[in-house]
Amino acid sequence: MANQTHAVKDRHNTSFDVHEVLHDLKHYLPSQTPLKDFIHHNSLHAFQELDFYSAIFKSSKIFGHQATFNIGEYRNLYRTGRIRIEILDQVIQDRKGIAGLAVWKDRVLKQQYNSSFTPRIGQLRRFWKEAYHIDLDNLVQPLLFRILCSYLDQGIAIEHFPFENEGLLTAIRKLETNSFSSFFKTKRAKTLLFDPTCTIESLLKMVVGDTSYYTQYIFDQQFTHRGWSGMVSAIEHNPHSILYPKKISLQELLHFELLLELDNLDDQLGTNWTPLSTKVNIAPMDLFADVANTELEEVLKIWQDAFEWSYYDEVLAGVRYLSENPTTTPAQLPKSFQAIFCIDERECSLRRHVESSDTTSETYGCPGFFGVEFFFQPEHGKFYEKLCPAPVTPQFLIKEYGVTAKHKHDLLYTKKTHTFLQGFLLSLSMGVWAVLRLFSNIFKPKMSPAISDAFSHMNMYGQLQVENKNPNDIENGLQLGFTVDQMVVRVEGLLRGIGLVKDFAPLVYVIAHGSSSANNPHHGAHDCGACSGRPGATNARVFAFMANHPKVRAILSEKGLYIPDETQFIGAMHDTASDDIGYYDEDLLTVTNTLAHQQHKATFENALDLNAKERSRRFASIDTMKDIRKIRTAIRQRSVSMFEPRPELGHGTNALCFVGNRSLTKGLFLDRRAFMNSYDYRTDPDGKLLLNVMKPLPPVCGGINLEYYFSRIDNQKLGAGTKLPHNVMGLIGVSNSSDGDLRPGLPLQMIEVHDPVRLLILVEHYPEVVLNTIKVSPELYEWFANEWVHLLAIHPETNQFYFFKNGAFQVYNPLKKQVNVANDLQKLIESANEMKTNHILDATKENLSIHVIQNTTEQR
Amino acid sequence: MSDLLQYFILIPLIGFLFLVFPSNKQEKFIFWTTIVTVSAHLLGTIAFILVWGNNGFPVLFGKGPILYAAETSEFSIDFYFDKVSAVYLLVSGILTFLVSIFSRYYMHREKGFKRFFNNLLFFFAGINVIVVSGNFETLFIGWEIIGITSFFLIAFYRDRYLPVKNALKVVSLYRLADIFLLLGIWLCHHVFEKSITFFDLYELQAHHIDIIQQRSFQLVIPGVFLVVALIKSAQFPFSSWLPRAMEGPTTSSAIFYGSLSVHMGAFLLLRTYPFWDHNLIFKIVVIAFGLTTSLVATSISMVQSSVKTQIAYSSIAQIGIIFIEIALGFEYLALIHFTCNAFLRTYQLLVSPSVLNYLIHDQFFNFIPPQHTENNSFWGKLKVSLYILSIKEWNLDTLMYKLLWQPIKKVGNWFSFISMRSIVFAFGPIYLLGLFFVYNKALVPTSIILYLPGLFAGLGLVMALRAFIERKDAMIGWLLIIMNQLFTSLSVAFNEQFDFEQIHIYLSGTVVAGLVGYLCLQRLKGEQESISLDRFHGHSYERPRLTLLFMIASMGLSGFPISPTFIGEDLILGHIHHNQYLLTGLTALSLILDGLATFRIYARVFLGPNTKGYHEVAYRSS
Repeated sequence: MANQTHAVKDRHNTSFDVHEVLHDLKHYLPSQTPLKDFIHHNSLHAFQELDFYSAIFKSSKIFGHQATFNIGEYRNLYRTGRIRIEILDQVIQDRKGIAGLAVWKDRVLKQQYNSSFTPRIGQLRRFWKEAYHIDLDNLVQPLLFRILCSYLDQGIAIEHFPFENEGLLTAIRKLETNSFSSFFKTKRAKTLLFDPTCTIESLLKMVVGDTSYYTQYIFDQQFTHRGWSGMVSAIEHNPHSILYPKKISLQELLHFELLLELDNLDDQLGTNWTPLSTKVNIAPMDLFADVANTELEEVLKIWQDAFEWSYYDEVLAGVRYLSENPTTTPAQLPKSFQAIFCIDERECSLRRHVESSDTTSETYGCPGFFGVEFFFQPEHGKFYEKLCPAPVTPQFLIKEYGVTAKHKHDLLYTKKTHTFLQGFLLSLSMGVWAVLRLFSNIFKPKMSPAISDAFSHMNMYGQLQVENKNPNDIENGLQLGFTVDQMVVRVEGLLRGIGLVKDFAPLVYVIAHGSSSANNPHHGAHDCGACSGRPGATNARVFAFMANHPKVRAILSEKGLYIPDETQFIGAMHDTASDDIGYYDEDLLTVTNTLAHQQHKATFENALDLNAKERSRRFASIDTMKDIRKIRTAIRQRSVSMFEPRPELGHGTNALCFVGNRSLTKGLFLDRRAFMNSYDYRTDPDGKLLLNVMKPLPPVCGGINLEYYFSRIDNQKLGAGTKLPHNVMGLIGVSNSSDGDLRPGLPLQMIEVHDPVRLLILVEHYPEVVLNTIKVSPELYEWFANEWVHLLAIHPETNQFYFFKNGAFQVYNPLKKQVNVANDLQKLIESANEMKTNHILDATKENLSIHVIQNTTEQR
Repeated sequence: MSDLLQYFILIPLIGFLFLVFPSNKQEKFIFWTTIVTVSAHLLGTIAFILVWGNNGFPVLFGKGPILYAAETSEFSIDFYFDKVSAVYLLVSGILTFLVSIFSRYYMHREKGFKRFFNNLLFFFAGINVIVVSGNFETLFIGWEIIGITSFFLIAFYRDRYLPVKNALKVVSLYRLADIFLLLGIWLCHHVFEKSITFFDLYELQAHHIDIIQQRSFQLVIPGVFLVVALIKSAQFPFSSWLPRAMEGPTTSSAIFYGSLSVHMGAFLLLRTYPFWDHNLIFKIVVIAFGLTTSLVATSISMVQSSVKTQIAYSSIAQIGIIFIEIALGFEYLALIHFTCNAFLRTYQLLVSPSVLNYLIHDQFFNFIPPQHTENNSFWGKLKVSLYILSIKEWNLDTLMYKLLWQPIKKVGNWFSFISMRSIVFAFGPIYLLGLFFVYNKALVPTSIILYLPGLFAGLGLVMALRAFIERKDAMIGWLLIIMNQLFTSLSVAFNEQFDFEQIHIYLSGTVVAGLVGYLCLQRLKGEQESISLDRFHGHSYERPRLTLLFMIASMGLSGFPISPTFIGEDLILGHIHHNQYLLTGLTALSLILDGLATFRIYARVFLGPNTKGYHEVAYRSS
């Protein structure tokens, strides 16, 4: 990353190299892949080598998006108390010293600033309109988008793009030779399409003229449709991100677009035009040159810091209170069961409810692929699906077998209604049926084949081929299943990582998560991020199989990790939208465990009811005061309701990530805002395991957090805007209009509850151990050093907080001395406000403050 | 029983009035008002149809209030109810009911929640006006309501560029259709020498068979209405507006463009069927349009890779077939087909986002890589050509621009020399001079008076053309539109015996609306805001109230049925004799252009992206 940006910086004003420009372009374009999978990432990944604030303000100057809230909004947040006065003072002092406090406080609170600016992008190409009075984008884009979308289409159109297997430009050339009609309006461009000597450079010569403007022109042009350009670049980079791969490259797009521009210029202006550079009265600009730091930005930094710390401080005060007032733990009772969840912040509340429904239970958190990385092929499936974090490339394949049920169809989704004769017959015969279906969709929503069902990803009653007995069993370069040794490594790694090495309960649940939703092109964004945006049920089941394997157990106990024979692992999945848990391979349980399992199931049901109620407070369609069973039913219906654009709220409000023992947070109401990774510093005094525990956190949790940050801060430019007008394009993305650009990022309905604060990772370990750990990995270190993610160490003995800043840990003492105490969690939830509008001033009021829960047993 | 017909219009209108008051945050109130209104209406419809059916499905006709009456012309609200009305009433009731419920949580917390339900109810009222209207004048009111609510719902996301641009595109065609409808009314008026009602229509064959079969009328009268129907139902060659109208929330696209609005062309065709009942040539024309549409639209639909566009074109194709059915006299089949197509397309649009999941899942389990064969034969080439042509939507979108708007722009540019100065110092005095002679006609020689209507209508058109091409100052544009209307009224005043009352009706709307609009623009100018017309300014972001006010003024000025100008428009045309084709043409063109210019000023000044740097603004292409 670092080398690459040096290349970017050193290049300006030297000769033009199209490959270099393309390389830079790809770096800055949105990198979201086709929507069938949704992998959260930092929307401004291109600027990640800079520190957070420099990056967001620089990117904002270049591309014109918002970087923070505007100053008026922060001031209002301050007035309403969301930004606390003592925190603001502290932040100003930290940044400007005690001497600067008065001056800067005055600026922060009162100074008027001019916030309007002209972004650098687009400054060159606007001369088409100014000098020639033509709107080149309107002339080129509708056809260009249509051709790109048709070429990449995965199955919406009935007629395929002819020659789509041959690469974009080749296909277009063949189309043109084999046809009486043409995409082009004029001769010159069409001739050039076939001219082998025609290159991007020669086209730029004709369209732009002066070489020194080329780079700026290309950026200007491609960023008028960053959605499509980004998609082409993403598919070029990873052709298997679509199931029917197509050969396409950004270079081809650029080439074709320049031809279309030439064509339209010739068509509109005849011979009556000269290249753009002859009409331009500005010097070529280096888009990525450094930007001047302004006072307004300093003020905004202070405000954003104060906004974040007003929250963190409260959290830390709560954590400190817990450590100072440890709850009197009952005498060490044997554990009834243990449950390992995903670190996902949506499981934060469910874990709390499970623990309170059965106080002798114990919960753990770890990334939801449970340390087993593989491709999965469902029975009858024609493709493999990756089930592990996105950067990992697995060597293993798990196949499903023994499934008799076939994939179900829904006749109302047939494409034949778009054909001529069948369209006539079908529209006559299906119309009344459609309206009856609409009635039932509205008044009695239920699961159907068109709804994305988390439990349909893997068949409930199918079998998995997990164990590999012959290493030569290889399919397409992937080993079928894991050998015993490979299983041992994974099981041991996970259990030691989360600190579950002794006191095993008879039943250990391994609970993955997925999400069901209807009418939702962004459904992948609600599934498990650690499973490449898919439901993680298979991983849970595979892990349980491994941990139950007698040979694995035998080797593990030789290694000092003894799991009692009566202990059984059982895979399960939590549907975070419908709040249901499904259990796998229940028939493998022993008789005693089966009985216990029936009891625990009731515990889980109880916890799910409470969880549904807690979630319902944010849903307009559900009255939180209603009978809890009714709430549960309503929650279930939401997940299959076609009219519900918020089946769940995804990762909205995420803000924290705890790495440590559960005791750190048990008894704290965190309002589903914390990722929780179990880790026991006592089993890992030198931090050997810590690196592997921490490594995925910034890219996975930080990636989620930053994508939410940017989609929240500028939902129009960095997010996908409101879902309601979205139109599915080629099964790869969404756009607003029939002629519009693709919209990467998160839709409004997912981010409106989100308070854009950066992720604070809290690690329970000695600060020096944490520091040494992050220094081992430069990529990991960069996240913290550049402040994209905050890091705080909690000293295990003194319970002091150490905040990582400027390369070192510094003591932090919470300013808040008092904590809120909730005697009755249910009352707290019932009394919570629902936001009046989704403007941040209203939206942030919906978040509940940190509470210490006094009464930890909950019954419905 | 026919007395009850007015309630079909009144119920949604009352609901709409209730919705004016709440704030956007009062979602519950807004929703329940809507749903109570729509449910009451639906239940009423069902009960009405049951009783009506029990009585043997009689054709009902009712006289409503007379808005304006004079010796020669009359403008009254009439009602009419037959099987066609019954089907359309029921289908629109059911769909509006379902879509309202669907929208409750779908639209939750949307910035335009209230705007959406306001428009939905107003639109519903408009549909009802059309469906139970007893004469063309009444139908025209409904037509205008549908047009204006369409504009608002296409430009629902008014802070973005494309919705506003496309809303203007669609409303331009709608305006064309509206004026054609007015021309149709004018024609009927003169040919049959009275305001005819739909009830009369069925007796035409008995009384006016000679006129209907007269050569010059047998194509022209139904032809004018056919153009209106073709535009409204997005038939060839006007099809390309429909997919571009799908800019608003999916629910509004579903009910407007998937089903109700787009089937109104078919309704008009059914209503005007008596005009061409025995007219074989015209039937062939309708069939030709229907067939061409359904073939072309199907070919486009089959290559579409975006879901909503695909559904839009298949809906168009089916409506083409409905046109054929009507022409063949299969009224019942057409009604069944309308019902089923409306239901099916509404459903398909509402669930269109789930297509992604459904088809990817299907692809995962059933994908077979397609075989590619190169076919150099003539047929192979033809197939590829058809593919390219369909991807380009048969150039229909550019065709509309080239055929309709570009020539007008070209002609308009001849008059670009007219400036604020020349309005004040040249055209103003000319107008005053004209006004003086209207009151003192005796001073003008008769031989000259003959030419004055044409002259003033021509000057009016020049004003409208100039307003149409104005790119700089919204204020000039606005004044030009007012001047256009002043000149138009002058031309009428010279055309026949001067009737103060009628002209005053027309002008009272113009003057009030014109003044209000002027003040709005003046206020923006005073606050140092730009009101140039070369780009969108999006002032609605900071000034929603001023926007609303200016919008009402614009509607008034463009003759929307909230202002007397609306009745005036009808009257003005009524004063043109049936052999004055030039005058009719000039006046009609003026009406089209000043409507377009008005909407354009509203859109450019108040809608589109607001580019002040302190808040989120979408990229232009999104």
